[in-house]
Amino acid sequence: MATTRSDRAFVDKFPHEAAIVKATFLVAFVALGIGAFFGLIQALHRTNVLRVIESADYYTMLTGHGVLLAIVFTIFFLCGVFHWAVARSLNRPAESRLFSWAWVGLMTTGTVLTTVAILGGLVPNLGMSADVLFTFYAPLQAHPLFYIGLAMFIVGTWLAGADWFLSYRAWRANNSGERIPLQTFMVLTTMIMWYVSTIGVAVSVVFFLIPWSLGLIESVNPLLTRTLFWYFGHPIVYFWLMPAYLMWYTVLPKLAGGRLFSDPLARVVFLLFLLLSTPVGIHHQYLDPGIAEGFKFIAMTNTMFLLLPSLLTAFTVVASMEHGARQRGGKGYVRWLGALPWRDPAFTGMALAGAMFAAGGFSGMINAGMNINYLIHNTLWVPGHFHLTVGTAVALTMMAGSYWLVPQVTGTKLYSRPIGLLQVIMWFVGMVFMSNAMHRAGLAGIPRRTAEPQYQNFEFLTPIGSIFELRVQIALGGTLLFLSVVLFLFNILLTSLGDESDRPVDAALPEPLSGPEGSPRILDNLAMWTGIAALLVILAYTLPLAGIIQNGGGLFGGGLPVPATLSAGLDFVVVTVSSAFNTLLGVIA
Amino acid sequence: MKFTKARALVLIAFSVPLAIELRTVAGFFNVELPLIAVAVIEFLFLALLFVLYGLYGEGSESPA
Ligand code: HEM
Ligand SMILES: [Cu+2]
Repeated sequence: MATTRSDRAFVDKFPHEAAIVKATFLVAFVALGIGAFFGLIQALHRTNVLRVIESADYYTMLTGHGVLLAIVFTIFFLCGVFHWAVARSLNRPAESRLFSWAWVGLMTTGTVLTTVAILGGLVPNLGMSADVLFTFYAPLQAHPLFYIGLAMFIVGTWLAGADWFLSYRAWRANNSGERIPLQTFMVLTTMIMWYVSTIGVAVSVVFFLIPWSLGLIESVNPLLTRTLFWYFGHPIVYFWLMPAYLMWYTVLPKLAGGRLFSDPLARVVFLLFLLLSTPVGIHHQYLDPGIAEGFKFIAMTNTMFLLLPSLLTAFTVVASMEHGARQRGGKGYVRWLGALPWRDPAFTGMALAGAMFAAGGFSGMINAGMNINYLIHNTLWVPGHFHLTVGTAVALTMMAGSYWLVPQVTGTKLYSRPIGLLQVIMWFVGMVFMSNAMHRAGLAGIPRRTAEPQYQNFEFLTPIGSIFELRVQIALGGTLLFLSVVLFLFNILLTSLGDESDRPVDAALPEPLSGPEGSPRILDNLAMWTGIAALLVILAYTLPLAGIIQNGGGLFGGGLPVPATLSAGLDFVVVTVSSAFNTLLGVIA
Repeated sequence: MKFTKARALVLIAFSVPLAIELRTVAGFFNVELPLIAVAVIEFLFLALLFVLYGLYGEGSESPA
């Protein structure tokens, strides 16, 4: 039977959803282009290879780079992927077109305001600046516009989540008793995690940072805003990663010519991330004196548990790829690797991204260990680490995925596969140079977030190489990465301008080898998992927050900070609870 | 299995981290490799790949 395009292409079946996806991808790619350009400027500046900006403007660039890439590019792109995945897997359009455009509009407006506030720092005499870096906690202070834009952006993501939950509810009404389709399950669990975790940043921005930047309140408790940031700052890494996992679990096996190994295992992994990704944020604060060691230890333990779902993912994804390779005639213990479709940039990019993620996972374990963290804290090691994770596992998967997704929403064929292949390989090689040298430089003690690290006269053992060699590696890597982004944007632009095609891409996704039927239904009980996630958060954060508020001079700071101990936090809770209880008794009596 | 351009590119990509880490590995055995040695080794690898591609690659006459 001949199939017409309407049977196949997403854009014909769901034209309005495709338009939303196109809009979010457009914003994402503009942010990617600008952010990558700033990255190049930084890489060349701090290695003293080429200096086009004043060192005083370095933080403006760095803030732009972090915000535009780690927040805007990633989140806009994942909103597009999620919108696509929900419509596709539930096989129904969104409930309200207007509502979908409302969240796209709100997120975009917020992004523009925040970007204006950041770039305003480059214009002298404007009196506007937001050089607070993408971590934006006090005591660095930005123009109110920065925080207001950020708040709009986050509310926009909440509405986007509501959009997908509404679709799910409507689907459920006609499909009671059915298992939640896998991709929708992934989107919903990720969004629940996002709701739980963004509460922290929302409180920080709305109650402290905005009033403080407007001059309505005198001071803030810096440790409190830091802790609220990291309460959200660790889960955000899973917000970046989950869409990459969604593609690795549901798209990559197909590209490899096979099928997903296990659907229930994928569900378990997403639930584990929902439960464990929030009560670990304190692992970013191992060096903060205002938090007692015991709480840091709890955060470290939870973090080590998080390795489990990542290792499960590595196993499932590699098993699915091997299955694909053997379907294609691959043989032997390792020779099957050769039978994978390396010509396809979507496949190769995702596979390379996965390989780099393994390396990033290893350096992440160093970060996560309370004691060895001291060795690398705030050194260039840390950017070395997260350019492998968010900068490659996520960003390269998104770029590679675009080669398969963009044709589905534009209805045009990919402009050039060879250029795509060259692009993902260039990213891999560039990142090997840049990230490897960053890790080494960090071990040698070179700090991050510095325009002019002064280490000319240092010599290290040959295995690390000289400072000069490390600098050349970083500059070379950064240049390759930037060129790779240029190739990517060029390829996508020409793709979207191309002629309509009957069959832009083979978009069918095969059933998993082991389907959801055999798995316990309790996996789909989202309300229960949300409850457990909230409980874990309360357990992990009540005492530390109490201690921070008490020892740091109250909610709005001002007092002298006191070194923290576990018992002080406990005392505070006991005193607060008992005095509240006494007041209550007084009222009743 | 055909030795395609894509496979050659992926092999080159994976050779770069191996080359960069070669000095660390040599360091474990107290061998101090200078940068230039690593560059030469990588260059030899690329040359070998080039020759193999010429012999067995896409468009070559010999059966692969
Ligand atoms: C063109 C490619 C890229 C280049 C050349 C590049 C370069 C750099 C450099 C040199 C730094 C460190 C600056 C310092 O600490 O002094 C940096 C920081 C950073 N990069 Fe990239 N990067 C690139 C791509 C990305 C991507 C794709 C992401 C995420 C999706 C990303 C996220 C970040 C973040 C979050 C920081 C930390 C900013 C801060 O410390 O506040 N980068 N980048
Ligand atoms: Cu973290």
